[in-house]
Parts: sequence; structure tokens; C-alpha cells
Amino acid sequence: MTVYRHIAVAVDGSTATAEALQHAVRLARQSSAALTGVFVLDGNWADFIGNDWQSSKGARQGFLDHIRREQEQQAEAARGQFETAVAGLESAHFSVLAGDPTEELVKLANLPGTDLLVVSRQVFQVSGRPSLKSLARILAQKASRPLLLLG
Amino acid sequence: MNGDVGFFRKLPSALPGLVLIVLTMVVIRLWIEPWMAHTKVFGMEKPLTDAFHLNYILLGIICGMLYRNVVFGGKMPAVLDDGFKLSRLMIKTGIILLGSLYTVQAIVKLGSMAIFLIGGFVIMTIAMVLWIGKLFKLDRSMTGVLANALSICGVSAAVATSPAVEAKASQVAYAIATILGFGILTMFISPFIGHALGFTDLQYGAWIGTGILNSGQVLAAALAFNSNVAPGTAVSVAEIWNIMRVISIPFAVFAVTVWYWAGKDDSDPGGRKKSLGSLLVEKFPVFVIGFLAMVALTSMGAFGEVGIKGGPPASDTIKMLRLWMTWIFGFGLVGLGGYIDFKELARAGGTPLKIGLLVGMTKYVLALILVILIKDFLVAI
Repeated sequence: MTVYRHIAVAVDGSTATAEALQHAVRLARQSSAALTGVFVLDGNWADFIGNDWQSSKGARQGFLDHIRREQEQQAEAARGQFETAVAGLESAHFSVLAGDPTEELVKLANLPGTDLLVVSRQVFQVSGRPSLKSLARILAQKASRPLLLLG
Repeated sequence: MNGDVGFFRKLPSALPGLVLIVLTMVVIRLWIEPWMAHTKVFGMEKPLTDAFHLNYILLGIICGMLYRNVVFGGKMPAVLDDGFKLSRLMIKTGIILLGSLYTVQAIVKLGSMAIFLIGGFVIMTIAMVLWIGKLFKLDRSMTGVLANALSICGVSAAVATSPAVEAKASQVAYAIATILGFGILTMFISPFIGHALGFTDLQYGAWIGTGILNSGQVLAAALAFNSNVAPGTAVSVAEIWNIMRVISIPFAVFAVTVWYWAGKDDSDPGGRKKSLGSLLVEKFPVFVIGFLAMVALTSMGAFGEVGIKGGPPASDTIKMLRLWMTWIFGFGLVGLGGYIDFKELARAGGTPLKIGLLVGMTKYVLALILVILIKDFLVAI
């Protein structure tokens, strides 16, 4: 059996990532590996709406704040989901990143310290842009470290 | 999570992107357009301009799309990113300068006609989306966002409405992707239809100003039909229609917010309704103020003669402003193309896509039929 020292798992607080999280926790217990849960605050919304201050800065900023609040709530839900799942696990921590979710996960999947990245195919779709449906496919193409796609 | 670009602060980092945009437009206007105007393919004279109606506007957008989606594989490189972001400001800056095409009298003449048509279409579209949303059992937040996005001004309206109706990010994302996809399609097919039906600039401008959803896309479709910027051309008509629609954003946000909260449980806490006054301050489109200021200056004769048909010729200042506008719009539309992400559009789907296409197409076709029926009543300037 392959022994992992560090496993990372993408968590978004939805039922879509529950299976991937359970799987990652099981593998971490079996290998006595450290487990990191990751949520990414999507930083691409400003570009996605493609709207500039001349249209109405108040409306634009109000919208971006609205999205930010929703994502922060989602990050808290993800943290809660992660902390419940890792109860009793020796080494586990949760991390909130910011940026393009696909790019951030690709970076994580290429870090030498990541022995395995566990990801649900539906991850981040609960709060994300349409292109995030391609996240799993891009990750599979670009990850240089072991990757486990579920769901 | 803002992404706004302050002009002077970001200018140095924006230079590479801006240089690429300017070079693209220079090559298109100085070499490609003249070449297209003389080229012969399979025995056909000027097929690219006569059959495909390609001009510097459409070519600019196509180049922008190619840069992002083909040349750079779906994402603008960091070195070009700030320049492309900054170029988006040029579209609205150009629309502000467009104010120099009109006097107050012309605005009143053209606007009084537009206000009836636009008002009618906004109310009809909102009612239609609310009804279809109920029929499809669509979430009330999503219905509210789609109602304003499809009736007024696409992305700006979706963005302005979402917080007020507690729309979720994923819902707004699908609404925006649908609107942008529909807008891009209409932006490219409208000039063909307009030419095929033998529309005048007045008819065409009234049609696309009513039927196309986004300001940038209305502008592009108008200039693709007739790239001249002067009183009475397609762009001068379409923009008045568009501005009438954009002005209605705060009012429509207010109406949809009232509708949304009226259907909610009274004990439900939340953002609740905002007053119309606060919505006007918060959501009023800034560029419209600039546009109206430009109209006022033009009416006071600050730039000399406007050059209305049958009147004295346009002053040198006005001619220079119009030349600048064609370049500014050209740069802005390369930037607009650079922000069309095929991945986002291809992944749109579900009920928002169905409702968006159904309502968007109904509005587009109804506006087309209407301008054919009322062509003798449309007011020219």
C-alpha cells in the first residue's frame, strides 16, 4: 500500500465534496498522514462581470461585496465540514486561499510536499462561475503529483 | 476582490496591453480594412466587406477574442492584463464623447420616441420573465435577476439587482454567461439582418438599441452596421435608445426588489427594501451623467456646429472628436473581445439559459417587427 505523508483535499461545505473529504480522511488515518483541507475564495468575479466604474461603481462594489460575503460563508461551512470529518485525526488543518480556484488547485497539485490531492469533480460549483465545471478536467491535465478525482 | 483600475496609478503596468490593443487597431484600420475594400475572392468583389459586413469594429472584437481564447489559451497573460482591463473604460468614455452628436432639442426629439418603446419593452420583459419564472418554478432570486438583466442592460442590471434579491453567486454567474452569450450572437448577426432587410440607420439603431442587452454590444452592433459616427447614423440612434434603457436601472431594481420582498415571509430578516432615492444614488450609471454633460456643452455651442443634416457643416472640433471616437471605440472593443471567455460561455446552461434565450430572442424579434411596422413614425435627427 502506498504511504502518504501529506494529503490535501478541496472542500466547499456542500454535499458534493463530502465523499471526497471522507475518502481523504480515511486515507490519512490509514497512512497516519497530515491532512490539509482547502477552500479557495474565487478572485475572478471582478473580471467575470466585466463591468467598470463608469457604469455604476456603487452597484459594482455592492455586488462584489455581496459575492465576497457569500464566499466567506461558504468557506466557514467548508471549515465546519472539514473539522467535523477530521475529529480525532492527529494532524489536520484547514486553509482558505484566494485567487482563481482552478489555478490554486493546480498549484497545490504540483507542490512537491503534496503526496496526494483529493478532489470532487463538483468542487466549488456551489459558489462558482460556469467555467469551474472544467476544474477537474484541467486539474487532471496539469497535476504532476498524484491526484484522486471522485464523484 | 475589486479589480477596478485607477487610470494613472495603473498606467505603467497597463502599457504593454494598451500597446498591443493600439497596434492591433492600427494594423486593422491602416492595412486590413483597405485591403478588404479592394480584395477579390472567387470572382466576388469585396466579399469580406459586402457579404460579411466586416469592418474595423468586428475585426477588433474578433482579434480580442482570438488573443484571449486562442493565442493565450484562455487567460490573458499578467503582463497584458492591466492594459486590457483599462481598455474597458474606453467604451464608456467613447459613449460620453458621443454626447457631442446631439443637442438638447435632438435628444428630446429622439428620446421622446425612445422612452415609449424602451419603457414598453422593459415592462413587458420584466412581466414575461416573472411569469415564465413562476411557470418553471424558478427560485425568486434568480427570477428577479433574470427579469432585470433581460429587460434593461444585461450584466450591469444583473450586478445591480443581485444583492437586493439575495441572489446566489452561482445563479448570477449563469445569468451573466447566458446574457453575454446571447449578446455576442446578436452582435454578429444583427448587421447581416439589418443589411438584408434594407434597414435605414434610424430603423437599425432603434431595433438594436431595444433588442440587444449590453451597452458594449449595442455599440459594436451599431458600428458594425455603419462605422460612421455622426448625427443620424446607427450609433447615434442606438445609443439614445440604450441610454434610455440604462437610466431605468435604478427604477427597475426598485420594482423587482419590491416584488421580491413582497413574496417573502415577513419574519424573514435580511437586507429588506431600499428606498428609490438611495437606489438612484447607488445604482445610477455614472457615464450617463458625463454623456448628458457633453450634450449640454454641445447645445451651448462649446464645440461649434454639430453638422445636423440640412444644417451648417460640422466644426473642425466636432470632426476631430468624431475621429477620436472611432479610435477610442476601436480600442475599447478590442478590449471587450479580450474579455469574452469561451470557457465561461460554453459552460452556461440549465433553466437560466432556456429562459434567457426564450425571452431574449422574443424581445429581439418583437423589436425587429416593431421597427418595421412603425418605420414611418420613427423620428430622425
